This record gives sequence, C-alpha cells and structure tokens, in this order.
Amino acid sequence: MAETKGGKKTFKVFRYDPAKGGEGHFDTFDLEIEDYYATTILDVLFRIQREHDQSLSFRYACRVAMCGSCGMVINGKEGLACKTVVADLKTPEITLRPLNHFPIVKDLTVDMEPFFKKYEEAMPYFDPAEEASEPAIVRPDTWERKAIDMATDCIACGCCVSSCTMAFWHKDYLGPAALNRSMTLLADSRDGLHDERLATAMESCYNCRLEFNCTEVCPKEISPTRAIKYIHRMAISQGPGLAQRLSPAPEPVALPAPEPLTPEMSRRRFLGRSAVSLGVVAGAALVGLVSVSALSAAFKKPECKWVSLGPLEKLTAAPGEVLTIYADYSLEDGFYKRQEHKPVLVEMDREKNKVTAFNSRCTHLGCTVHWDQQKKLFLCACHGGTFFPDGTVKSGPPPRPLDRYETKVSGGQLYVLEA
Amino acid sequence: MLTLGMGAAAQLAALNAYDANPDLNILIVTKALRGKGGCSRMVQGGFNVVLDQGDSHQKHFMDTLKGGQFINNQEMAKTLVEQATYTIKEMETIYGCFFDRKPDGTVHQKAFAGQSFDRTVHKGDLTGIEIISRTTEQIMKRGIRVLEEHRALDLLYDRERGQVTGALVMNIRTGELMVVEAAATLVATGGGPTCYRLCAPGPEKSLDGLAMLYRAGVEMMDMEMIQFHPTGLIVPGSVVAGALLEEGLRGAGAYLYNSEGERYMLRYDPEKKERATRDVVSRSSYLEIMAGRGYPGGGVMIDAAHLGKDFVEKNFPGMTERTRLFGYDLARKPVEVSPTAHFLMGGAVVNKDTETAIPRLFVAGEDAGGVHGANRLGGNGIADSCVFGRQSGKAMARFLATDRDIPESDPEMVQGLADHYRAPLGRVSGPVPADLRDRLRELNWIKVGIVRQGEALAEAQEEVEELMAEAMQAKVPKETNYNMIWGEWLSLVNMLDFTRMSSKSASLREETRGAHARSDFPEQNDATGLYNIFLRRGEDGRPVTEKRPVDLKYASPPSIAAPKEA
Repeated sequence: MAETKGGKKTFKVFRYDPAKGGEGHFDTFDLEIEDYYATTILDVLFRIQREHDQSLSFRYACRVAMCGSCGMVINGKEGLACKTVVADLKTPEITLRPLNHFPIVKDLTVDMEPFFKKYEEAMPYFDPAEEASEPAIVRPDTWERKAIDMATDCIACGCCVSSCTMAFWHKDYLGPAALNRSMTLLADSRDGLHDERLATAMESCYNCRLEFNCTEVCPKEISPTRAIKYIHRMAISQGPGLAQRLSPAPEPVALPAPEPLTPEMSRRRFLGRSAVSLGVVAGAALVGLVSVSALSAAFKKPECKWVSLGPLEKLTAAPGEVLTIYADYSLEDGFYKRQEHKPVLVEMDREKNKVTAFNSRCTHLGCTVHWDQQKKLFLCACHGGTFFPDGTVKSGPPPRPLDRYETKVSGGQLYVLEA
Repeated sequence: MLTLGMGAAAQLAALNAYDANPDLNILIVTKALRGKGGCSRMVQGGFNVVLDQGDSHQKHFMDTLKGGQFINNQEMAKTLVEQATYTIKEMETIYGCFFDRKPDGTVHQKAFAGQSFDRTVHKGDLTGIEIISRTTEQIMKRGIRVLEEHRALDLLYDRERGQVTGALVMNIRTGELMVVEAAATLVATGGGPTCYRLCAPGPEKSLDGLAMLYRAGVEMMDMEMIQFHPTGLIVPGSVVAGALLEEGLRGAGAYLYNSEGERYMLRYDPEKKERATRDVVSRSSYLEIMAGRGYPGGGVMIDAAHLGKDFVEKNFPGMTERTRLFGYDLARKPVEVSPTAHFLMGGAVVNKDTETAIPRLFVAGEDAGGVHGANRLGGNGIADSCVFGRQSGKAMARFLATDRDIPESDPEMVQGLADHYRAPLGRVSGPVPADLRDRLRELNWIKVGIVRQGEALAEAQEEVEELMAEAMQAKVPKETNYNMIWGEWLSLVNMLDFTRMSSKSASLREETRGAHARSDFPEQNDATGLYNIFLRRGEDGRPVTEKRPVDLKYASPPSIAAPKEA
C-alpha cells in the first residue's frame, strides 16, 4: 500500500433523464475518502446516492468483475466501476460518464440492446459438429486451446464496443466482443457451424482499423484485436474456397414477368437455408431435435427489406451498359435507425429479358465499386479490385464475386432485397 | 411458461423445456441484464460430478449426506448426484462449455473440501462465467424471449382454484407494473443471504424468490440453515467486502492463521485441518475472532504463499487479481478474510421434479430446499442449480404437454399488491430503506449469525417485526424510472420476510448441526431423532412451523443404525 491512504476527491457525474429531455449535464460531488485503495468507483456511486442525491441511477450486480453490468467511462476510459479503485485515478477530479454510443436509460445506465444485437448476429452460440455423449478429448496444449485461452472469459460488459471507433459507425461491423466470441468458436474443433460463422465474421473483420482500443480497455484483459487478426488469417487460408461453397451467384431474373417473381436465393438467405438443412441431415444422423429447431429459430434473425429502384420503364440502358441507381431507404442496425443512399449496379439484358442487380460494396473491404463503361469492368478505387460484368473477380484482393441482390418486379417497379 | 430469474437453474429449465417442445411459449424475466444477474455467474470453484471410474454416485451421495449432517432430502440428493453426470456432459456437448482438461485431454477434476474423491469440474477459478455465458448464448440461439431489468414482485393466484397464475412484474426502467400470466411458473431467482453484514453474493441479490414463495403460502423447510463461507475478503467500507476467495485455495493447501500466528485449524480439526467442511472452518474462525485472536480488520489470515507464486497465479488467476486490486497479493502474502454469509440450504419444499404442492408452481436452484441438508459442499451448489434446472425444464414441458390452460389472476389481489408496492413512493417523511437494511444486516450478523443463542433469537424475532413495521413507513422518491431507492425498499421487505423465517426456524432447532450452531445447545442430537423444520406463512405474517422426521430412505448416519438399503 502507498503512503497516501485517502483524502478529498471531486466526482463529476453525468446526469440525464430521457423523461425530462435535454442534453444532459454533469453534477459535481465532493467526497472525503478514507482509503483510496479500498474504495471502488462503485462504492463512490453508492455513497453519492446515499449521502448526496437519491435520484442517481447506475447499474451493478456482482461487484467483483464477473457480470459486466457496471461498465462506464471513467476519466475518459472505459472500465468497470467495481474493478476500478480510486487509487488508480491520479486526477483530483474524476469524471464518470455512461458508455459511448449506447442509448441512455438514465444517468450512467445504458440500454445494451445494440450490443446484444450485434453479438447475436455473430452467431455466438456453440453448435455441436457431431452428436457426442462424452466431453471431447482435447489436450490443453493443442493449438486450438492456446488460441482460445482466456478469450472465453468475456463478460459482455460493452467496454470494448464503447471504445471502438468503428463498431458504432459501420453498420456491417459486428464489433470486438462479437468477433472475439466468433474466434473462440472458429478455433473450437467441436463446433459445427464453422463455415457459416467464418462467412459472417469475414464480412465484418476487415472493418477493424487495428487501433487496439478494445484491447486497451478490456477489464478481463482479453484482446479482441488478436481475435480479429486470427480471423484475418483464417480468411486468407479458407476464405476463397468458402465463398464458392456458400455462395453460388443467383441467376438473373426475367424482366417483365408475372409478379411477384420467384425470389432468387440471396447469399444471406442461402446461409440460413444451408444451415437448417445441415441440421436436418445431422438430425437424421441422430443429433436429435435440438440443433434443428434451435437453428431454424436463430436464422430468422436477419431482417430483409424490399427497396424500390423506381419504375422499370424508366430504366433504359444500352446493351452491355450497367446503370448506377441510388436506392434510398432507412435501416436499423445495432445502434441506429439511419437513412441509406446507396448505389446499386443494375445490368439490363433486354434481349434475354433479364435483370441483374449487384451490390456496389466491394467484397474486399467494403468500398464502393463503380462501373467503368470503357473497360466494361467494375472497379474498386480503394485497393484496385476489378470484377467482370458478371460480377466475378478479374484481379486484385477481393475474395469473392460481387454480391447480387435478390430482385423482383412489382407494380411496374423494380425491387432489390436489402439485407 | 414463465421463468423468474436467469441464473443457471432458470436457463437450464428454459433450454430443456424448449428442447423438449420448441413450440412452448417461454418467457424469462430477470431483474438484471440478460445473463448478468444471480450467483451462478459468480461461481468460482466448480461443479461436483462423478465422471471418473474410481468414483461412484454412492460416494458422492454419501459425501453430500455427511456434509448435510443427514437431514438432506435423500431423494433429492440422489437425483443430484446421479443426474449431475448427464448434466455436465450435456453442458459440454450441447451448450459448448469447455472445462479445464488434464494433460491427456480428458476433463480435469479438482479437490474440494468434504469430498472422498477429487470430483470438482472447473474452468480456472471462474467457472460460473463459462457456464452462464455459454447457456445465455444457447438461449439466444433458440430465440427464447427475455425481459431484462424486470423484477418479479409477487406470485399471483387464481383464488378459486388455488393455482399460481403468474407474477406481478415491475419494469425497472419505467417503474410500470404488469401482470404476466402463464400455464406454468418457475421460481428460480436464487437465494443469496445479503441480509448479513458480510455476504458473498452480489448486492443485487435480495432473497426475492424465497420471500415471494413465503408470501404465496408455499411450504418452506430448514430456513435456519445458512452457510457461512470461511474466506470472504475483508475490504472495510466497500461493497466488495465479503466477496469470496474460493474454496479451492484451502483444497490446494492454503493455511489459516490467527493474529497470534497459530494455524488454529490444527486445533479444531486435527485430521482435515483447513480442508474441513465450510461450517467447521467458519465456526472455528468465528470463535478465534470472538476470542480476540483476530486481525484489526475483524478477520483471520489465509496464506497461500507457501504453495508457490507461480502455482497460485496459474491456478487462481481470478483470486490473485481480485486481491491485487485492493493492494493485497495472494500469491506472495497472507490476505485477511472473514466468514461471510454465502448460501441458503433451506427453501421451498419440492420433489425431485421441482414441483411444489401448489398447482402450476415449480421451484429450482437456491430457492428450493432439501438437497443440501444442514451444510452444502463446495461444488454442489452450481451442480444443484444445473441439475434441478434441467429437471424442472423437463418436468414443466411434460406438464405443459397435457395442460396449457392459463387460469385467471384474482383482480383484487393484483390491485391490492400494486397499491402495496407503490405505497412508499413520494412519501415525505419516514425512515430511509438503506438505513433499515443496514440495521437488519447487523441484527442478523449478531443474533442469527454463525453462532446463535436462544434469547438472542427470541429478540431477533421481535426486532424483525419492528423493522417490518418501520419499513412500511419508509420514504422513497416518487419518480419511478430506474428508481434505485424503490428497489432497495423492495429488497428490504424481502430480506425481512426471509429473516422472519430464518430467526424462527433457528430458535426451534435446539442443537448444533451443520451450519446451525447454538452456543446454548452445542451438541448434535442424532439420538433424539433427525428432523426438518417446515414452516409456512401464518395470518399475521409470522411463520407457522412444524417439525417432521427425516425420511432416511437410502442411508442413515453411523450414529443411528445401519442403512436400510444400499
């Protein structure tokens, strides 16, 4: 223990009540603290509530860093209130704020729904590769166990997501906690959802900008950055083959035809279906009803939305030309409802009466791809990826062809299915 | 199907019910965030289960009875040890838990106190995180609905038919009350004796389930049996005080010293020493502290340094970290600890399928009684929650296969309860809930604590009624959204109802047995017969009690007679 045991400290605590509106403000409280080493921030909050302001709201449960309920921003850095003692904080004034990005319930209490939404999208649940009645024999010194190590000790406190500069802004990014869990399952030889899980993780993992914020703040000393790098490596070794296995490109749909057209299988839909049938096959091999029913429930999750690209008659293009049409729609991701204004690349083949719509998101790192009419190629400006008119990769780093939208024609309008 | 709570018992119940019939409409109601509440998550040591060829269910059964001083419900104890084997295997093969392995890749089992075989399955010293994280993910996978930050206040009834119809539930974020009705209701909110000065469970635990069951007229048993864990961390003035240093430390060979530097367990239990059961070690430490041989913080010292720094850091990373936060260093120096209120062996009377005597009401986990008798073995707690959660899910699915009728709640009852629980809101004068709670904690610590005495127990029974009367006059701020003071008041009322049961029951057991020690009755009286103390709520709110002999169905203690059957 150090020489200075205690003394006076000032705490600036963020206050906000959505019922009352406004922008929120900080209240200042002075406390005489007997022993900085024996006083956690959670103790401080209890004292403020008891001695100064009964209306203060914060969240706690276990008080020993095992539940992840009391995550907040302490002096600008995420941490658990129960695991931070005043002695750790050298400033005379200590600032306490709710976690970044999350909707505030009241004062320091946030709604963790966006966190769990992104976490669930990563398919964080084990699915047995085969029916077993005995625990698998896995030696603790195997590479898989070394890779997983303590990374399964995540307590879903949300500190990493709060510290991440990408998880909030990028709708497709599942964030550090979800990818960390994804890695622990990808490395687990007992798990049976490997390909589907990897496909989901790969869509997301390149959005990490390797800032190591999550690693820096994790109260359990887990490194999600390490987990994401692990997924990168897996993407390189297994990615290209994986795309072929999981994603046969949908055929173009017929132009004006009886409506609605039979929906083609989109990539995401295909994932769902393949996983369910996987369950059925496994079921026949006596895995039992558990996995089948559980999976079908789980794969209902991703929400799809038909987005109009306008009246079909107005979509005129010369043969071999690709139209860029902006789709405007709102969508809800983990954190936000937001307006999208996104180019969709539409190829019309009037002769064959077919329309194909490509997602303009590069399959490498998600930059926007454009159509080059001279070269008759799709080009990505970020890292030089090029795609043939049918969407397959010509050159560059993209691991798989451009994603195609499922399309339909209804009421004379062309629709794409945005997932 | 309504499940109150979201610890291991509640989650295993929901998962097993869903897997038996995915068409069931299951709702989990938890007062914390999903998967974050309760004590299962806080489990450190591990899960007792027979896996090894050299071990047997008979041995685990007898260890459990010996630990429980033979007042266990033997049918429940038998179910525990037999089903634990299947349960742990399902947790590995279906839910994806990964417990620590031996070098050959098979599941590692470590030593725990009071066991004739090393049978505790674990993941490091933070086993609960693995169990709850993995099962919470399985709840997500199955799309089972969870109402988080919703607190159940009381069970609801169909008065005419005498059936439980669901629960009155409060949305913590808004303060709104709602009625949730179901064809079958499970109470699995967990116990947690937080009504003591020092306690191991998290402060959000507040005996909600036990108090709700008591108020609903459910028969309860052995409510005097409150386990004190010998090694609660001492951090004066902090909410962390009482948090555990895990049992495995003593299992691994850590020593306990009094302030005179004496390893006093050599005196109290020369044979098992620090590896004696929790009741024995807690009582010994308490007597040392009371005799003035404690340290200034009010505790004794646990020393693991002689086991080697590397060994301690590798095997007890969670405990090492926990002590370092407060300036201690478990791997190198002794750490001051005290007995701390930890677990309730008593609870609702249920059968091995977790059914109560009231139609449509099931109880599992720490809210149920009978399995552990007078003292629970370390590692039998999470086993209990998982095994009986699983039993309950299967039993509820069977029940719901034939009866999915939802009876109607008594509207007057709902209105009456709503008025009762809203009464303190906005009151301008009266005591503050936290002050009353602190008084109750001291009362329990001194008069219904580690060592008890008849007169003090009689006083405690009166004082708890006085506190209850004061609690009914308490003041709480009027805003209902995330009103933590209102929550404290609700917890206080539940703690008081619990203390009504524990103090009464403790006064009736005129012997020392397991966790229940009486300075005025220091002997264990096997000769006069083994009994359980049953109680239910009387008209005036105080318990009405009844002693009934233990059914020694499968085994008897050596002091009485040879077992009736093997």
